[in-house]
Amino acid sequence: MIFSVFKKELKDTLRDKRTLRTMLLIPLLAFPLIMTVSSRITAHFEAEEAEETIKIGLVKSGNKELNNKISGAPKMMGDKKLIYFDDSTSLMKAVQLDSIDFGVCSANGFEQALREQRPAITRVFYKATSLNAEQRAAGFLDAVNQQYKDQRYRELRLSKEKLEPLKITYQNIASNKEMLGKLAGGILPYIFIAFGFVGCMYPAIDLFTGEKERKTIETLLTSPVQRWKLLVGKMGVIVLSGLTAATCSLIGLYFSIQFIDTAKNQEIMQIVNGILSPGFIIMMYALLIPLTIFFAGVMIPITIRAKTFKEAQSIITPLNFVLVLPAMVGFIPGVELNWMTACIPVINVVLSTKELIAGTLEPGLLIISFAVMTMLAAAAVLLSHKQFDRETNILE
Amino acid sequence: MIQALNLVKEFELTRQQRKELNTTDKLVRAVDDISFTCEPGKVYSLLGPNGAGKTTTLRMLATIFKPTSGSILINGIDALKYPQEAKAEIGFLTGNTGLYARLTPDELINYFADLYGVEKQTREQRKEKLFDLFNMHEFKHKRIGKLSTGMTQKVSICRTMIHDPQVIIFDEPTSGLDVIASENIINLVNNSKKEGKTIIFSSHIMSEVDLLCDHLGIVHKGKLLFDGTMETFKSEMQAPNLTAEFIRIIQSTHQLNAQ
Repeated sequence: MIFSVFKKELKDTLRDKRTLRTMLLIPLLAFPLIMTVSSRITAHFEAEEAEETIKIGLVKSGNKELNNKISGAPKMMGDKKLIYFDDSTSLMKAVQLDSIDFGVCSANGFEQALREQRPAITRVFYKATSLNAEQRAAGFLDAVNQQYKDQRYRELRLSKEKLEPLKITYQNIASNKEMLGKLAGGILPYIFIAFGFVGCMYPAIDLFTGEKERKTIETLLTSPVQRWKLLVGKMGVIVLSGLTAATCSLIGLYFSIQFIDTAKNQEIMQIVNGILSPGFIIMMYALLIPLTIFFAGVMIPITIRAKTFKEAQSIITPLNFVLVLPAMVGFIPGVELNWMTACIPVINVVLSTKELIAGTLEPGLLIISFAVMTMLAAAAVLLSHKQFDRETNILE
Repeated sequence: MIQALNLVKEFELTRQQRKELNTTDKLVRAVDDISFTCEPGKVYSLLGPNGAGKTTTLRMLATIFKPTSGSILINGIDALKYPQEAKAEIGFLTGNTGLYARLTPDELINYFADLYGVEKQTREQRKEKLFDLFNMHEFKHKRIGKLSTGMTQKVSICRTMIHDPQVIIFDEPTSGLDVIASENIINLVNNSKKEGKTIIFSSHIMSEVDLLCDHLGIVHKGKLLFDGTMETFKSEMQAPNLTAEFIRIIQSTHQLNAQ
């Protein structure tokens, strides 16, 4: 009987254009579109930046040597155009008006400080609101500073090597897989949770509030099928819809990395292909199925109580933020899966998936995460059943 | 057969409802100690103004609502103890229920046949018979959402009858229907009566009641004011016609309550 209800609700859901959009189309196309657009925009800006000539302002009466060194900065720093100003006030004004990218001015006593081999104060004017202005100025001035340093080493007859007692080399021994898991692993559960939630939302509203709105619920309740069976059949479709939406979003992401020219990354692809083993997929779904059941279980009581589609939507949409926000924990560096975080719903799924991708997941913590989510999902199902069993909620 | 004994249904009022009704009572009694019997091959009509308690009574018979107290027997089955078994005996049709607009009539009938546990072969035979009877073959594979009101009503009737129920409950089945669509319902009631089924229907249209019913129950404010045969009702009439008599009974209750 549950299967009959499931089959009918699935057919009904698959004929609803709104649900199809949120379950299949948007998740499937979201990443290819985002990646294509963002990579094109990035490429466009990079090309524009490479072609751009940086305008550097200098003070005519400033230190000539400093001005010459800036003028002679290596070409690799990018094309530059030097603009000379009478004083530092007009230089600052030009920065303010965005007519130059940044301005360099030697402070009083600059030459004397150099002669006495003390640090010579060099002022750089820039606007923090101008993109990368500080970094680009730092690039030029680091090159100039290095020239002065080399000059001093020669004057002081010092060996550069002697002034560097330690030659530190950093060697990363983490595997690429581990690196991807720890650095980018947070995105996978986040995607799954965000799309899983939205995937559950419309079918949940349609199958419960929709039945009330369309006045089909009364007929259904006169059939000799126990209410829990109706609930399970309907819930099955909601969970499947959530999982489908999440899976579609991942398929979209996979194909974006694999096939879209501008987003293609063979190195990441090799690691991803290495991660995608049957065992990994089983373990990931072992975590995500109870999570999706939990989502459905939280939404169903709301959709049962709501009188209209709009009312249900207005309650569930803010709930999205409450449940999906913890998923962002996966992006915070230093938050690791341990005995405590394994007991926190949603966060445990995010962190477990991260560890799973990195290949560092402890089985004990996986079991705890799974058990916590299963218990929570069971509680949500019981709550749904209680609400669905209340005659006043169903018909009013 | 339907046997309802001392049926009472109370609903809890929400704070909002208490405010709207200007009352401090936490409970409202929608049905107040109603007893009646509907016999096979007879049509029992539950007549009453809007808000009288007709729908609540019928929903209790259909086991959608659980009575606060009292008992219901559907073909001898205790509907409170064995609601699923009782439901299997019932066909429930109301004038304001919707149908799944994204399904076709054929798919909808199959779904309800599955819910009632009707075997595939029997289902196909009954479906064929019903589709012939109501001339539904032309639109059986069209989405219900694209059908006219009359066509939808035919689908509703098929849905009600697909499991060949022995007890049929109609809750204001003709409300909102035109004369031709109402005729389908009237034919269904008459045919079911001939087949020896137990029929109960609620209405506030006296002419419809006069046309169909053998036994009459007049409900007002949750109480059964009259329970007897149509002949008895007619013979005891003090007003010139059925509608006037119905209004007289309701108004005399108001006067009694006022005193």
